[in-house]
Amino acid sequence: MRVQWSAVMALQIEDLVKRYPTGTEALKGVSLSIPQGDFFGLLGPNGAGKSTLIHCTTGLASATSGSIRVFGHDAITHYEQARLAVGLAPQDLNLDWFLTVEETLDYHGGYFGMARRDRRERCRELLEAFSLTDKRTERTRTLSGGMKRRLILARALMHRPRLLILDEPTAGVDVELRLELWQYVQRINAEGTTILLTTHYLEEAEQLCDHIAFINGGEIVAQGTSGELAARYGVVSLEDAYLELVGRKELSRAHLAAEEAV
Amino acid sequence: MSALTEHEAPRAPERERGLVRLSGRQIRFLALVRRECNRFMKIKRQTVGAPLLETFLYISVFGAALGSRIHTLHGYRYVVFVIPGLIMMAWAMNAFTNNASSILQQKFQRSIDDQLSSPASPLELLLAFSLGGFLRGGTVAVLTFAASSVLVDLPVDHVLVLLAGLFFVGFFFSQLGVLVGVRAEQFDDVAVYQQFVLMPLIFLGGVFYSATLLPQPFETLTHINPVYYMIGIVRYGFLDYSDVNVALALLVLALATGALFTVNLRLFLRGYRLRA
Repeated sequence: MRVQWSAVMALQIEDLVKRYPTGTEALKGVSLSIPQGDFFGLLGPNGAGKSTLIHCTTGLASATSGSIRVFGHDAITHYEQARLAVGLAPQDLNLDWFLTVEETLDYHGGYFGMARRDRRERCRELLEAFSLTDKRTERTRTLSGGMKRRLILARALMHRPRLLILDEPTAGVDVELRLELWQYVQRINAEGTTILLTTHYLEEAEQLCDHIAFINGGEIVAQGTSGELAARYGVVSLEDAYLELVGRKELSRAHLAAEEAV
Repeated sequence: MSALTEHEAPRAPERERGLVRLSGRQIRFLALVRRECNRFMKIKRQTVGAPLLETFLYISVFGAALGSRIHTLHGYRYVVFVIPGLIMMAWAMNAFTNNASSILQQKFQRSIDDQLSSPASPLELLLAFSLGGFLRGGTVAVLTFAASSVLVDLPVDHVLVLLAGLFFVGFFFSQLGVLVGVRAEQFDDVAVYQQFVLMPLIFLGGVFYSATLLPQPFETLTHINPVYYMIGIVRYGFLDYSDVNVALALLVLALATGALFTVNLRLFLRGYRLRA
């Protein structure tokens, strides 16, 4: 049974601009609203601004102008409350080589002010849930890629965030782990966690996300349900809508099938 | 799986259970400092053992070898004259190296993003990174002092001056390590500062000799080396002897440490080379 939510916004971004010192404008006045409890997909080609938007939200990048609110807390001026509500599973496997699996979760919990007993209990739950219990005393650098990915997701969930940001979580992940991961994520979403997902796997986004936004060249160019986006571009699938967006409709499976038929 | 998500109240800044009740902010700061200490303790042969051996070798060489030819300096046995400078050097070099390496390594792995995306303030982050090196340097310095005390009769004549001097020396070099770590983009950047700036300054600052024994212009040149004054403060704390005006040197050192801390804090507030 899916939890019903009020109209509270988990993430509200208005006119967000990010200009790097080199002059590159990665975000050009992005506005985006993600309701509490939503499973939201942010799709776009490489360099479109997805990660920059996530970094501005989590404090890893400083916004040039605009506002970001996480559950009503200003992520720039009142970042402490905003960041407490966000869990980030980044695209890179950015684990600390010096720490063990257990320490990785314990320190993360500490950074978010969790008391020792709470950290210990939460750590045990997550190690069990992500099949990492046997690896808890191993250093992170000895883990396989799949194990590292699990640990990064567990770390993001450690402090019980209300908004979980997944930046291309299935890049380079085998089929088994991918399916397992989506089961976790769908379950926690059903239990109330808001999800912001970026991925290049459009079928996954179509299947998982309640709402989707296309970002390109630092601007949100379209948003809605996958059906609405397909309708907007006059195509039948999210993948075709995406190809229209990036100007590569000749790669569409429907287009190729039609050519083969001729 | 329900245990994964009970987040009605994003728990946290509650209270640490146990004898001491800590606020969420205190827990966070301790976690940041623990992480820094954990790093150097996990490689303690390199971070604590090697510097101790190095200092022991200095004492052996200068105490046993040179000491047999230079009997006293300003009324002190040569090895006793040298040890205060070695203790200061141990604290300074370890504080610097630890912080520069730790920050650069975390930037390199991007694991620093875990701290940067946490609710920790720039001040908390700066203090935690600083304390890592400060405590490592302090550990090596205290062990060096303990080992030296076994080998020779080392007096401590002005304990308050000594503690204040070592505190500011340790904190100054911790800040310098943070600054270099934040600015560095490759490990070579850290090595350049360490080998081509700090080592010459420390070696030419009078660790192994008294500047008053140097011919001109070297004696005058030594006076423009800031490390010379730091050694003077520490040597006064131990031996009641110094080439420098201790009160003035301590004041300048405190001001310089404060200025460096302010520079670092500004960099952390801006997210300079830490946040995009």
